[in-house]
Amino acid sequence: MNKQNWLREHGLILLTGVVVGIAALALTALGNPKNMGFCIACFERDIAGALGFHSAAKVQYIRPEIIGIVLGAMVAALAAKEFKAKAGSSPACRFVVGLFVMIGALVFLGCPLRMVIRLGGGDLTAVAGLLGFLAGILVGVVFLKKGFSLGRAYPVPTGEGFMFPGVMAVLLVLLAVFPALLKFSEEGPGSMHAPLAVSLIAGLAVGVMAQRSRLCMAGGLRDVFLLRDFNLLLGFLAIWITVTIGNLILGNYNLSAVSQPIAHSQYLWSFLGMALAGWGSILLGGCPLRQLILAGEGSGDAAVTVLGMIVGAAVAHNFGLAGNADSVVDGVYKVGGTSPAGMAAVVFGFLVLLAVTVTHLPRKEAAQ
Amino acid sequence: MREKQLRLVLAFHTTAEAMATEKLCHDHGLKGRLISVPRSVTSDCGIAWSAPLCLRDTLEAMLAEHGVQTAGSYEVML
Repeated sequence: MNKQNWLREHGLILLTGVVVGIAALALTALGNPKNMGFCIACFERDIAGALGFHSAAKVQYIRPEIIGIVLGAMVAALAAKEFKAKAGSSPACRFVVGLFVMIGALVFLGCPLRMVIRLGGGDLTAVAGLLGFLAGILVGVVFLKKGFSLGRAYPVPTGEGFMFPGVMAVLLVLLAVFPALLKFSEEGPGSMHAPLAVSLIAGLAVGVMAQRSRLCMAGGLRDVFLLRDFNLLLGFLAIWITVTIGNLILGNYNLSAVSQPIAHSQYLWSFLGMALAGWGSILLGGCPLRQLILAGEGSGDAAVTVLGMIVGAAVAHNFGLAGNADSVVDGVYKVGGTSPAGMAAVVFGFLVLLAVTVTHLPRKEAAQ
Repeated sequence: MREKQLRLVLAFHTTAEAMATEKLCHDHGLKGRLISVPRSVTSDCGIAWSAPLCLRDTLEAMLAEHGVQTAGSYEVML
């Protein structure tokens, strides 16, 4: 394949990766927490906190990036006549799987997108998460090959498809016009954010680009393992390379496994947390970012999944399941990580995913 | 460099239907392979079946016989 054809085929996904990477760098420079320019899991957790679904005071803020991603995807889908209201693909299972994807991600301290952004900041603790994510996806792919399916979605009235973007629009109005109704962190990651307009524009840009290119962290790896198709993976790599170069230029690159921002070095549970997120993402047909894009395109099933993730974030913080970052206390480096309750939740999550998987495999007589 | 050619692309509602198609084609000795659904076909990121155009009727008959639903068939340069 000549260079021109290669660029025509892969240019959009590469450009999307670069846009996401630049947006992440810009958001961090303008106030978002370090190595957290974008994190779908963290941002949905902040939204859950801002709405009072959990009471972890350090992680409460309506993140305009999430609103922007959904609305950007909706606008792009409408413009391309790809907005399709549909639903009905095992919504209850999607809610529960989304909940455990969130718990897995919060045990690791980041969604697959933040995992790449952490790697781009030189955070070597994220390697355990990457390996776990790969393992989880491989498990999911094995079951896809065996015929796993949550069932098809069916067309529904158009209004159903606009419901979730509508909820996002209401959140934006609350944030911009009625902030007194919301909770805001006064310290910690939730208190660190770029200006509202910048966050919203960055989210819109990522939403539009990701809708056009179908960027998906889980889908990229699934396609490699299942189809030997590397197109979506190029977006994943473009984000990593862009963030790495940007951090090197800005002097923010710190290649190390200690003292990384909002990260812990409890490697086993980083691995297992992201394995849970990876397996769940394959069952759901996409990573947390992709679920936002699909919800913006009118998928009621993806909307239910995102709601499951938001509830999962609340559960994670109300029951002390989320990971704690490594810290320095009185000059002593203290390894963070997850609590026994968090470990139990991850193990239980694997059992739940196994139950969902097994009950959605073709019956023997149907498979023959 | 492989020349692009017009291929039959079958899209599905679920990944399971794509997998079932692969198995049926393998069992019946029909050429084709699983691919990521071309962007020109849909914004979904599912899996499709790519086959030579001449197999359209054979494939459609076989899938109907085995109750495998497609979400559409397309002719795409691949």
